[in-house]
Amino acid sequence: MKRLGVLFATAALALAACGSGGSGSDSGSGGTAAANGAPETLRIGYQLIPNGDLIVKDQKWLEQALPGTTIVWSKFDSGGDVNTAMISGAIDIGLAGSSPVTKGLSAPLNIAYQVPWIFDVIGDNEALVARNGITDVKGLVGKRVAAPFSSTTHYSLLAVLAEAGLSESQVKILDMEPPDIQAAWQRGDIDGAYVWTPVLAELQKTGKTLVTSRELAQRGKLTADLAVVRTEFAEKYPKALDEWLRQQDRAVKLTRTDKAAAAAAIGRQLNLSPEEATRQLDQLVLLDASEQRSADYLGTPDAPGKLAEHLRSAAEFLKTQQKIDAVPALDVFQKGLATKELADAFAGS
Amino acid sequence: MGAGLWRAAGLRLLAIAVIVAVWQAVAMAKIWPPVFVPEPAAVWRQFVRTATEGYSGYPLAEHLLASLRRILIGCLYGIAGGISLGLLIGMLPSARALLGPLVTFVRTLPPLAYLSLLVIWFGIDEEPKIWLLLLASLPPVAVATAEAVRGVHEDYLNAARSLGAPRWALPWRVVLPSALPEIITGVRVAVGVAYTTVVAAETVNGVPGIGGMVRDAQRYNQTDVVILGIVVIGLSGLLIDFLLQSLDRVLVPWRGRT
Repeated sequence: MKRLGVLFATAALALAACGSGGSGSDSGSGGTAAANGAPETLRIGYQLIPNGDLIVKDQKWLEQALPGTTIVWSKFDSGGDVNTAMISGAIDIGLAGSSPVTKGLSAPLNIAYQVPWIFDVIGDNEALVARNGITDVKGLVGKRVAAPFSSTTHYSLLAVLAEAGLSESQVKILDMEPPDIQAAWQRGDIDGAYVWTPVLAELQKTGKTLVTSRELAQRGKLTADLAVVRTEFAEKYPKALDEWLRQQDRAVKLTRTDKAAAAAAIGRQLNLSPEEATRQLDQLVLLDASEQRSADYLGTPDAPGKLAEHLRSAAEFLKTQQKIDAVPALDVFQKGLATKELADAFAGS
Repeated sequence: MGAGLWRAAGLRLLAIAVIVAVWQAVAMAKIWPPVFVPEPAAVWRQFVRTATEGYSGYPLAEHLLASLRRILIGCLYGIAGGISLGLLIGMLPSARALLGPLVTFVRTLPPLAYLSLLVIWFGIDEEPKIWLLLLASLPPVAVATAEAVRGVHEDYLNAARSLGAPRWALPWRVVLPSALPEIITGVRVAVGVAYTTVVAAETVNGVPGIGGMVRDAQRYNQTDVVILGIVVIGLSGLLIDFLLQSLDRVLVPWRGRT
């Protein structure tokens, strides 16, 4: 219901944008924009994940870096909703997991957006937990395991089962939101779940962790929280995007040079104590600009990185789930990486 | 009479044709991306695919049957409870003072607000779904029954008493039959309310189920499947209401003639 509501809400937003927005987007390139061709507004869809985006938001670095631009921050709860908002043109830059981005880049959505930045590689903050007594993945045969469908954990769960040589029909997989997973776990209705913090921490108190997403990433099944930027925005306002990228890099560097300050900023945004924020921050893998440009991740314009392959393997997964009709070619995902913008933003470094 | 029926059928067909034509025109105009407004043909293709290959591992018929089963059971409990409560409220002033506000309270709650409680109390299997549908269908029947019972003519009761009917037989032999037309109207409303809550009932572990199917499709922006689900829910709802109207004609043939 909630998602349908969002769909209609974004449709309404799109309508409003069609009505008044013709002039809005014109004015961006016209006289009312800031002198250096900066956009009038930059609309950001963020999610409550303890990564650099929240530091940038908390420290108001973007507002300072782009003084002529109004920054609008809107909170989203899932990548699917971010996709919907992107389709309707309601946001310019958003955060979505690798599974929703794969879906967005594939037909029939074919959303005109690109990945300029990896907010975080999912590590110990997502894991498969099973009831005590189940010692390995094979022990899940015939049991009930929950995960929120279409999320990164759903992808990871099926990857783990495939690794263990189990077919989907051998395990009863249930679609549930994290709070429902916690309730069902406490009642004993489910035997395991692949879920993220803070519910994950509750399950780990009484259950056994079978595998974490950090281990899966090391074995080649990487999941990540990605930035997506509307292609139209990236082409029209490259300087604003450069500035956005540099602030993200600055945030990642802060987590390394002054972790206390970084954790305090994240803690403020998430209503967490600094200690808890530090713990959650440590569970994620954050990448600075030079790591982003390495062959393992986004890569360079001449040699797009391995993230494209990870997205393609997520597409193969979606195909087996009948959520997309065909697996796009690798170069669809390579073109989906904004490697040129990333290279331009850090050309000097 | 025959010509009138044909005329009505023709009008309905025409209305459907106009809706589909407008829909097709809007889809072809491409004002919105296909994800927002899929073409009628795309929905039809999903129908064929879902009916034959299935969706989320179950064919369309199985999704629908699972939901209908839940609605049937939930409504039966809800109707039984609603008629009993309604009789009490309508006949005993103290029960009216005690239970009346409670029924109104439950009636105004949005199902999504207490679904998470039902999950904690009753788990993730059939029980919370049945309870949700029961809670949705009980109040309309209770309210309709209570009103109808209060409206039973005093003369009927006096006549039965003077003919020697025992006290315990009055609700069963006199009150219920004379309240039946309103009760059946309440049942029709109740089934409709239960139908609107089926998607909410199936948000947790709802596959197979037509609501679970719609929800799953929403998660992946599969708008064509969402529309297909909505059409199936609407059409089956129409069919069920038609059946209830037929039941109405069989059970209370005197409706509107007294």
